[in-house]
Amino acid sequence: MSAQSLLPWMLMVPLSWATLMVLLAQQRDAITRVVNVVGALVLVGLSVALYAGVAQEGLAVHALGGWSAPLGIALRADGLAATLVVLTAVVSSACGLYAMTSERAARTNGKSAPRYFWPLFWLLITALNGIWLAGDLFNLYVGLELLGLSAVGLVALGGSEASLSSALRYLMAALLGSLAYLLGVALMYAAYGTLALPELAELITREPMTQLAIALMTVGLCLKTALFPLHGWLPPAHGVALTPVSAMLSALVVKGSFYILFRLWFEVAPDVVTPLAAQGLGILGAGAVLWGGWQALRESSLKMLVAHSTVAQLGYLFIFFPLAVGTGATAAALATQGMLLHVVAHALAKSAMFLASGTLIASVGRGGVADLAGVGRHMPMSLFAFGLAGVSLMGLPPSGGFNAKWLLLQSALASGQWFWLLVLLGGGLLTAGYVFRVFRESFLESPDDAGQFTKTPRAYDLFALTLAAMSVALGLASRAPLRFMTNGLAVMAGVQ
Amino acid sequence: MKRRYRHLSAGAVSVALGAALWHVVRVRPTPSVSVASLVADALPASGVSHNVTAVLLNFRSYDTLLEVAVLLAAAVVALALRDEPSARSPAHVMYVALDAFVWRLAPLLVLVAAYLLWAGSTRPGGAFQAGSVLAGAAVLLRLSGLKVTAVDHRLASRGAMTFGLVMFLCVAIGTLLAGQALLEYPAKWAGALILLIEAALTISIGVVLYSLFDNAPQARVSDRESERQRER
Repeated sequence: MSAQSLLPWMLMVPLSWATLMVLLAQQRDAITRVVNVVGALVLVGLSVALYAGVAQEGLAVHALGGWSAPLGIALRADGLAATLVVLTAVVSSACGLYAMTSERAARTNGKSAPRYFWPLFWLLITALNGIWLAGDLFNLYVGLELLGLSAVGLVALGGSEASLSSALRYLMAALLGSLAYLLGVALMYAAYGTLALPELAELITREPMTQLAIALMTVGLCLKTALFPLHGWLPPAHGVALTPVSAMLSALVVKGSFYILFRLWFEVAPDVVTPLAAQGLGILGAGAVLWGGWQALRESSLKMLVAHSTVAQLGYLFIFFPLAVGTGATAAALATQGMLLHVVAHALAKSAMFLASGTLIASVGRGGVADLAGVGRHMPMSLFAFGLAGVSLMGLPPSGGFNAKWLLLQSALASGQWFWLLVLLGGGLLTAGYVFRVFRESFLESPDDAGQFTKTPRAYDLFALTLAAMSVALGLASRAPLRFMTNGLAVMAGVQ
Repeated sequence: MKRRYRHLSAGAVSVALGAALWHVVRVRPTPSVSVASLVADALPASGVSHNVTAVLLNFRSYDTLLEVAVLLAAAVVALALRDEPSARSPAHVMYVALDAFVWRLAPLLVLVAAYLLWAGSTRPGGAFQAGSVLAGAAVLLRLSGLKVTAVDHRLASRGAMTFGLVMFLCVAIGTLLAGQALLEYPAKWAGALILLIEAALTISIGVVLYSLFDNAPQARVSDRESERQRER
């Protein structure tokens, strides 16, 4: 099949599986497990086929309903979108398999697993693919709503009072973000009469209504991406959720709104946004890197530590803006490459880190960092996965995280904005601080550690290790994926 | 004090945003593209004669498909957080007049829903409106103490909730398998397919909206007792 005809299947498959999972919700474990594994295989297969198709044929466009934009809506896949589709399939399959393993472990221990996890899991994937492939501002809004609601639902599934209150807080932030975005969409429609991204990119001019629209959308999307100081909802939501949910939220969901922001600033309205606004986003990003890192350093619960680390790592994504707006073509290109590599490397590393943390907590039975004493001897593989992911987050070579930060650093030098170097370095040190803190506690010997560790399924470590290894391997082979991801992006036009 | 600051800053942001909106709407540019005229041109080929229905179920049917998925997500979350049956109590008010009124109103509301669904292809109406009327009827019945079947974990409930999405997906995947673009209806069948999808959606939307009411958390016993004491 050509890439163009594959596009709608990227949504139809997860949406069908979501519907199927509502209907199968009370079925025996074995049946749902088989259906889910088949779904994951189909999803990964189709995503890889789409990647290959786009690599061969270039930009793929599918006019939905046979109506071309602006009357209809189109699905579009360039290299970046196709890469994110593959990333989504890989990360969510690993998280899904982890969830299946933990459901099975819960059942054998006589505990019940949360009902209705799987419909929301597949709806989340539908929403993500919908966002990566969207070619229309309003369609992106629908994608954001589906993403937000299924993510909130997955957080609430934890069932405890804490998970309900963080889910509600998450819901309020997500709704406020969506509404700000929607108001911006309405203004854009009033100004241009179309919502299709390529058409808008051609029509857009710098006038008050457009500027207000872009500002509103930017604020809404920053709230959804948990940019400092709008990040308050993230740590409780990501910290309290079930382990595979935390992994997907930190790895993929927050990237959805960031992706829209990137498309908006650099594909739709590059002439409307100003270097001053970009500097503002960069400063908030720097605040996120330092504040998130500092909070992670002081945090006493392991999963909350990893969640604070997400706030910090998202900050790097915003340092990209001042490096790419109003600077030279080379600096902008380097910054784009660094940012996109960071999106992928962080997704792999952070999902690995959450899965490894969940395994450690399951083994220890408590969630505190200080409770990890002695775990180093009993759970070497989980700790190894945690460390491997940490290497990429810290930006140590060779890893995807290192290459990403190196590119950002090069861009800061190329554009003469050396002060971002300090933030990059400070962030790296803070990351090293909180990763090593976990290690220090884990290698402490506790006096009575003979019987206090629960045995966890071996498969847990396999999934975390695979993801962590991929984030490191990305450092050894970043050239091809980078070239593919940046191919055809407007911000790269000056250097290609 | 803190609360007051919060209110003040929220007020300031609202006023500033309102002023900015007022300003940009006054100086707004004239759009160079008119989708309304594009819709009018393509309307004869859409299978329906009302432009809103044509946009929702033909030109931008993909948006509607995802919106239906959003509704399902909400219903599933409510279902997942549903109280156990033992913790539930029948919630209704007892008024003779209400009972008699609702009893006569309910069949009429079903008729109104059916009309709205049918009217959708030629004038304002359609699945969302019809489904909301159905859900409203169910809520009224439930409040007046008549037994309305619970939307719970049974397969029948989940089937009714997903029925519309299943039908929509069948049409969507059918068009793909027939080698068309997603949701590209064959010209001859467009009107019939749209009515089929809308009819199925009406039922599901009604059930989903009612389920959100049915599965909403009950007031805790302690809350109700304190309320009763206040009434005394």
